[in-house]
Formats: sequence, C-alpha cells, structure tokens
Amino acid sequence: MAVDFGKMADLLIAGKVEDVSNMTQEAIDEGLDPQEVLQNGLIAGMDVVGQRFKACEMFIPEVLRSAKAMSAGMDKLRPLLSESQAKAAGTMVIGTVKGDLHDIGKNLVAMMFEGAGFKVVNLGIDLDTQVFVDAVKEHKPDLLGMSALLTTTMPRMGEVVNALKEAGIRDQVKIMVGGAPVTGEFAEEIGADIYGANAASSVDKGREAVGK
Amino acid sequence: MESIMPDMQPMNQTVQETPQFRVLTEDQIEQIYFAALDVLERIGSRVHQDEALELFRNSNEAVVSEDKRVRVPASLVERALKTYPRKITLQGRNGKRSVALQKDHVYFGTGSDLPFTYDRKTGERRRTTYKDVTDAARIVDALPNFDFFMSHGIVSDVPNPQTYDRHQFMAMLEGCTKPMVVTSVDGEGLEDLWKMACLFQGGEEEFRLSPMFVAYIEPISPLTNDHSAVEKLLFAAEKGIPAMYTPCPSSGATAPATIAGMLVQSLAETLLAAVMCYLKNPGMPLIMGGVTTVMDMRTTTYSYGAPELSLASAANTDISKWLNLLMFSTGGCSDSKWLDEQAAIESTLSLLTAFLSGANLVHDVGYIDSGVNASLESLVMNDEIIGMVRQVGKGIRTDDEGLALKVINEVGPGGEFVTHDHTYAHWRDWFFPKLMDRSDWETWNSEGSKTMSDRVNEETQRLLDTYEPQPIDDATRKGLQEIIDAAEKRHSK
Repeated sequence: MAVDFGKMADLLIAGKVEDVSNMTQEAIDEGLDPQEVLQNGLIAGMDVVGQRFKACEMFIPEVLRSAKAMSAGMDKLRPLLSESQAKAAGTMVIGTVKGDLHDIGKNLVAMMFEGAGFKVVNLGIDLDTQVFVDAVKEHKPDLLGMSALLTTTMPRMGEVVNALKEAGIRDQVKIMVGGAPVTGEFAEEIGADIYGANAASSVDKGREAVGK
Repeated sequence: MESIMPDMQPMNQTVQETPQFRVLTEDQIEQIYFAALDVLERIGSRVHQDEALELFRNSNEAVVSEDKRVRVPASLVERALKTYPRKITLQGRNGKRSVALQKDHVYFGTGSDLPFTYDRKTGERRRTTYKDVTDAARIVDALPNFDFFMSHGIVSDVPNPQTYDRHQFMAMLEGCTKPMVVTSVDGEGLEDLWKMACLFQGGEEEFRLSPMFVAYIEPISPLTNDHSAVEKLLFAAEKGIPAMYTPCPSSGATAPATIAGMLVQSLAETLLAAVMCYLKNPGMPLIMGGVTTVMDMRTTTYSYGAPELSLASAANTDISKWLNLLMFSTGGCSDSKWLDEQAAIESTLSLLTAFLSGANLVHDVGYIDSGVNASLESLVMNDEIIGMVRQVGKGIRTDDEGLALKVINEVGPGGEFVTHDHTYAHWRDWFFPKLMDRSDWETWNSEGSKTMSDRVNEETQRLLDTYEPQPIDDATRKGLQEIIDAAEKRHSK
C-alpha cells in the first residue's frame, strides 16, 4: 500500500508529530525515494502552513507544532538523503550574543527554520564571539543567525562579523540578525546580509538569501 | 509534581472569575427609589392619552388631575413592580434564540433612526436611505459581536413619513437575521411591525414565547408622556410585546444637574410606565431604560460621549437589578463628527462601563455626531472594541489548570512555553484582533503603513462586497409586502 502524501501533508498541517514521524518511517520502509518524501509530503505540508499563517488562519503555537512534525520527519530522512540533497535542505547556526540571556526570540526563529527543513544548530545564549566563529568552521552552515534584545549587546553582532572576516570565512555564510532594537539599517551598518523583523519573515528572507 | 502542590481545599476563599463592578450601594439605590416614589406621589407625571388616563382613574388608587397629571401611591407602584418577567428570550428571523435577557447577560446592538449618512462613494453628508439601512443590517448580521439590530439610520426615501416605520423594518429584515429593537410612528405602526414579525414566527403566541423584537418607546423628560408613546406602550402591553420605555433626560436641561437627581426623575418616569402597563395587562414584558446624559453647556448638545452618560447608565443598571427589571443601556457612541480618535475613545469608555455594569441590551453602538450621523465604519470598529471588552469580562481562572504550577515546573528556569501542550490548549482563550495591528514596524511599513482608519475602511468595504444574509422566502416576503401596501393605502387617503 503506497504512502499517501496528501495525508502526510495533512497530518503535518494538523501538527501530529508522532504520526508524521511514523508515516515518514513507513515511506522509508516501503523504499520510497527520500527526496520525494521530503518534497511531496513534508515540504508540501509546510508550504500550506506558511500560506495559512500569512492569511491569519494559523497561529504560532500551531505553526510550531507543524514545524516540530516537519523536524521529526526530517530526522528520519536526513541520514538517507545524499550529501547534496541534505545540503540542499539547508543548515543554520544560531545564537544569542555575549551579555544577552534572552532566549525566546532566537528559539522561535530556530524552530521556524526547522519547520522549513533546515538543520539548525542552536548554540544557546550569552555566547563569546569565538563560539560563533568555531561553529561556522565546524558546521559550514548556509546561514548564521544572531539575536540581541538589548541595545547594549547589539554591537556584539558587529564583532562577530569582523571576527569571521579575520578568520577568512565571512563569505562562506549569509549572516542574519534580529531582535527588538535591531533594524535593517543596523544590519547593513555592521555588514550583515539579512535583517529578520520577525520569526516568519526571517525564514522567508533566509530561504531566499541562500536559495532554499 | 504532587509534592509541590499539595492536594488541599482552600478555606474561607472568595473566588470570582469575572470582574465585579458597581456604582451605587444598596442604600443609595433605596434612597433613589424612595425619592422616585415620592415624585410619583407628590408631583406626578403628565399623560396625554385618554385610555391611559381612564386606566389610572379606574384603579381607584391613582389620582388624575384636571391638567392630566397622574399621581400614584407607592403601594400601587410596588404591586406593579412584582409582575415583570426577569427573563425574556429574543429570537431572530432565522429562528435562533440568541439573546437571553436575564440578570448580567450583556448584549450589544446598534441605535436607530440616524437622519444623516456619509456617502461612501462621494464622501458627501446626505439623508439616510433604505439601502443604507439594509447595508447597516448586513454589516451587523456579519459582525460577531453584535447581538441585536436597531435600524441605525432612518429611511428617508419612502412615500410617506407616516408609514416610514414599515419600510424601515423591511430594510432591517432584508439585511439582518438577528433579534431587533424597533421604533414605530404610533400604535398602528407598531401593530404592523408586530404583524410582520408574526409572519416569521408563525403567529402571536409564538411571538410571545420568544419575541423577534422589542419595541423602543420613550417618554418626554421631565415627567411627560405624549399620546403616541403611550398608545404604543399600551398596545405592547396588550399583545405581550416586550417594550422599553426609556427616558432620555439631559442633566441640567430636562433633568436636575446632579446625576442622582436625574436618576430619581427618570426612575419616576419608568415607574409610571410600569404602573400603566400593569393596569393594562399585568406581567407584560417591560424593560427598564434610560439614556441618561448631560447637556453640553457650551453647545447645548445632548452628549453621547460624556463620561456622565456611562456613569449614570451604570448606576441605572444597578437600580434595575435591585428592582428585578431587565435593563436597556447605552454604549459605543460618540459626539465626534467623524470616525476618529475621539470616536474611538468615547466608544470604548462607554462600552466597557456598560459591559461591566451588566446591562442587558447595550444600544447606540456605532452612533457618531451625537446621534445624528450614521457610520458603517463605526459599526466595524466597535465590533473590535466589544471583542476586547468581552475579553476583560472573562476574568481569570485560578484553578489548578489556571495556576499552571505543573507547567512552570516542567519548563523550568530558562525554558520556553510556546511549544508546551498547556500553551496549545489555552492560547485560543485569548482575544484575537482583527483590526488592531500588532505587527513589527517593518511588516507594518511594508504592508502600506495602514492606520486603524484604513483597516476599518477596508473591512467595511469587504463586508459590503461579500456578505449576503440568509434570504427571506418568497411567501413571507409576499405577506410582508401586503402589510406595507395596506398601510400605504390607508395613509394615502
């Protein structure tokens, strides 16, 4: 019996984490192409979630449930995807800069990117500049996301950009910054690539910037 | 978790889930009530209608003077007051029993008969038409926070001012399926409207069980009852049509300049109507009313935005509950000529106060220009305000699920609640804005930097373009038209 991708997408839209995970496993066991499962099941569902969110028909708690379901499916698929396919889904490193213990905004962005199929390395909060540099070297992400809620910690984001330049790896990665006091002008000033005004638009802009 | 939250039943607790709000103490209410009884015994109220005067004379208790002044002893007033129903359930033309008037049930609706309208195409201020009333009716039918409909505007494009009320009711019925409050020219007009409603309801008896409308009737302050108002009231009493006899005094002009004095006088006006209805048909469904406000001392305007309107109305509601009468109150209205910041401020204050007071029917929502100009946009804006006000009224649960100690423990320091099942189970309890903008600046800017006024206009247009109410079936429509035609024929002579 063939796996019904429409049903898989519906389960994902409904935020059924376990069901999506199980159904992804079934699809794998049936020997379906993992890339096909990803595109026609998971991503098809998340696309609907994105549209409904924009139309105010779905709200953050529901979107995050769907994102979690997506992420659960991706965990099953990722080991089976070819290197290029896995790469195609995207990788992101994200963290809150030194001196700032604010977690939630950055976590929301991380969860939304997982929902978009990205592999997200969430470094945490209050991070030394060197931690970001090391993570970029290690994970070779498409995107580096940095967050600050305080005007006093905002300048740390510029320091990370400079440190990446000094390490010669600035151009390997697109840099995204966000947080309540951050603006598009500030992002430009410190040499970041993308300003994310909110979790949803961060995902849109991030995907566009890295072509995912 | 059980170790953190011992299973115990708290003692000596006052637990409430909704805000409590009162303006008058019971002693103050009694002072006002006894003063009103005194007004009826010593001063009386003038009644310009023969049948009513006859009823008072025949009571052998009320005293009718040569100058048509009626004075009533307290014993008769108190006997009358015992007869009124504490519950009236209204239904719409769709058959839904959607408005259950009883203590502390609050419903919101429009006002009626606004002579002017801003034309949405030309922006010009012009007389209100049949179509304007139908448009207002559709919008009220579509908006979830409106529970009943009054005509909003007065139809000016009709053959004869003496029969306008039948056409106006028809315009209301075309657009709206919700219960209504209606105005009428006189007793004959009210009879026609009642017959029209009975067509939907399958007869008089059904109407009496769950009426489709309440008749709006008002005395003239101070202490005067004109012929047509009394005629309507007596007809309503005879047929068991719910009616409010709502004094509209303006403090400092047609009532004392003190709020307590205005309350005494308007209560005396109400009590006289209560006795009159009792003498006609004990137990008819009378609803207490009162648009109690001040006359603005610079402009002489009867103010719809004054804080005194809200305060006096809330006090009146306290009195109505003490008397076991249902209450028709006022809110969501403004003196502003345009739907602007003033309109939003005044509407919000009066809606919140009326809601917290627990009045049953809160009318005049959407009035601008002190009850002169109609505004569809104001209806749309006020729907959002009522949504917010109702949210405040929900109060706070403090049971185990509400206190969420288990959840706080599970998430712990530095965690997040956004993906927790508890959040998923409860976020829908919140108010979800349709018109209030909470986006970040960049999103707001990129979507056209729209102001509240822009959003209200767009939503109004969207509703006008898309909303279609449940239609009236052909047989009923034919019956309605016959009643209207017969009225035209009678009055064309």
